[in-house]
Amino acid sequence: MTTLRAGRLELEVLRRGKGAPILVIHGVNPISSHAPFVDRLAEYGEVIAPSHPGFGASERPYDFDTMYDLVNLYLDVLDAIPAERVTVIGLSFGGWIAAELAVTGARKIDRLILADPVGIKIGGREERDIVHFFNTSPDELIRRSWADPSLRPDGVYALGWQATITDAMTDAEMVALARNWDSLCLYAWKPHMYNPQLAYWLRRIVVPTLVLWGDHDRIVTPSYGRAYADLIPGARFELIPNAGHHPDLEQPEAFVEQVVRFMGKDASR
Amino acid sequence: MTDMELWNHCENPYPFVPAEVLDAAEAARASLPNKYCEPEIAARLYDEVFEEYRLCDDIGLHIVTNEHHSGINNLWAASPVITGIVAQMTSKVRILSLGTLITVRPDPVRVATEYATIDVISRGRLDIGFVKSGATEMVSGDANPMRIREREWEAIDLIEKSLTSHDGPFSWEGKFFSHPHVNIWPRPYQSPRPDFWAATSDLPTCAELGRRGIVNTLLFGGYTRTKLAFDTYKQARAAIGLPKPKEDRFSYLAFCYVGDTDEEAFRIGQKIPWFLTVSIKSAPQMSKFQPGQLPPEMVPGAWRGGASKRPNNLNVENLVSQGLMFAGNPDTVVKQIKEFRRRVGGVGRIIMMTRQGLVTHAEAMKSFNLAAKEVLPRLQGLEPIDDEAVQRAAAE
Repeated sequence: MTTLRAGRLELEVLRRGKGAPILVIHGVNPISSHAPFVDRLAEYGEVIAPSHPGFGASERPYDFDTMYDLVNLYLDVLDAIPAERVTVIGLSFGGWIAAELAVTGARKIDRLILADPVGIKIGGREERDIVHFFNTSPDELIRRSWADPSLRPDGVYALGWQATITDAMTDAEMVALARNWDSLCLYAWKPHMYNPQLAYWLRRIVVPTLVLWGDHDRIVTPSYGRAYADLIPGARFELIPNAGHHPDLEQPEAFVEQVVRFMGKDASR
Repeated sequence: MTDMELWNHCENPYPFVPAEVLDAAEAARASLPNKYCEPEIAARLYDEVFEEYRLCDDIGLHIVTNEHHSGINNLWAASPVITGIVAQMTSKVRILSLGTLITVRPDPVRVATEYATIDVISRGRLDIGFVKSGATEMVSGDANPMRIREREWEAIDLIEKSLTSHDGPFSWEGKFFSHPHVNIWPRPYQSPRPDFWAATSDLPTCAELGRRGIVNTLLFGGYTRTKLAFDTYKQARAAIGLPKPKEDRFSYLAFCYVGDTDEEAFRIGQKIPWFLTVSIKSAPQMSKFQPGQLPPEMVPGAWRGGASKRPNNLNVENLVSQGLMFAGNPDTVVKQIKEFRRRVGGVGRIIMMTRQGLVTHAEAMKSFNLAAKEVLPRLQGLEPIDDEAVQRAAAE
């Protein structure tokens, strides 16, 4: 296992490619080495994708259980990356972490890309902005989080992963999924997947920001995404066609093309 | 010598939702619309069960209340409310709240206040029980299902300190609860506090109950799991030099029906397992896939094919043979309870789940009368269990 020392913690980390660092902050499960977007993105820089404490093989200290802990941990992660500038990509729950991280004014962040992030409250008190991750049937989560569930890459687990469990899986894979799910719940059960204060403070984000959204995302809809982008000064909002809540997994080429273009690189290579 | 006690545990189920509605629903708890709960029928059910409690008070069966939410299995949605009513309408028997869901309730101090009030109203007949809560309750109560064991213990500690502090406000700043000014009124009637019970078969929790002398209740543990839990309790006490616990520290909850004949008891008793066959139906996200339900290393067994199917072959004979039910004429039930007590190494308090499922009010009243008059007297003055003989029998 490759690890990354961040402050007091030793995190499991997926590293791929060389060059300017691209920090990927994962969502419901750590970034899989089978995810096709990883190799494509690694052509444009070094992909660095740690597993949050309590996910994958990363340890979680007993009292480490809030978004506050995760944000400060990712400040440690930024410190641990030697480069002066880091592109930060946050996916789903990891998009929430990335947005909080950028609100702190971390100077190392070069550009911020949020893909279908959760983390803020937009609608009225009787409107649910974010489908409940833990209290929705796995089948329904899959229906809502993919434009076409058959496009799910083998060996990759996203929202609704429970419905894709087979007896062919190893015990170790099941244990890892359970551990990830427990940890996510610890961090985000209540308020479910958002910080009531964050929408107000998104105005503090000063780095160039791209908000990407799967046009078929029915976990958090594109209209929520537009509102999210509107709260970040100067942010661009782009839809990714034929993708749900995980455009990185469902449309990896389009996802990487958008990211790379935003990074100011030639995406045609 | 052990004088055993019999307790009546009724969850006041609501078995009147049409089968086609339940078959189509993802769960019989938590998400079933309350349009299927007819208030007039619920009012009649409350009346009937309260009448059963009055009978229990007259004939010497102690009373257990509990709470579950948003489902057909239980109309006791707030145990302290119901327990307060029972405290006022009874005068002799003990009352156990098993319990309000302290892992769901935000303020243990409020819980302590409610229980102290009930203890005073009942003039010291209250026992306080703690349960960790099931997965559907985390949804109904919007409580984080992670770390409920730690949260439960901190709540118990804060409730205990609230009940036993009498010299003005104290402050509490814990991991899960903070309350800078705790000073409950009234203080409890019993001193130093009402007895505590907890329902669990989780072995580390059983050990902690042992160290604290809290009554350990097993729900449908059967012979093996119950014995393991009670042994763990005893060993934890022995390990730190505490005296051997009396049998009143051990309690067992099982289905129970006492009839005039075995045939009658088995026939009526067959209505009780509705609790397991119908009322427990629960969506996967509210059961095996809810975070925190099992330690991660144990999930493969629960997640693989064939696991956690709803039981449907629970006939009375099977349940009796597994020690999950006591049923028969009074002679038969006395024998079953004595045999259970022997095989688990001693248990002083049997909690009978009788008014359950489709059992009627009249049928419940009949069983309670027989239990109090024909069974209970024969469970008095029992010889101590020879622990070593039980161990030898188990080894053989």
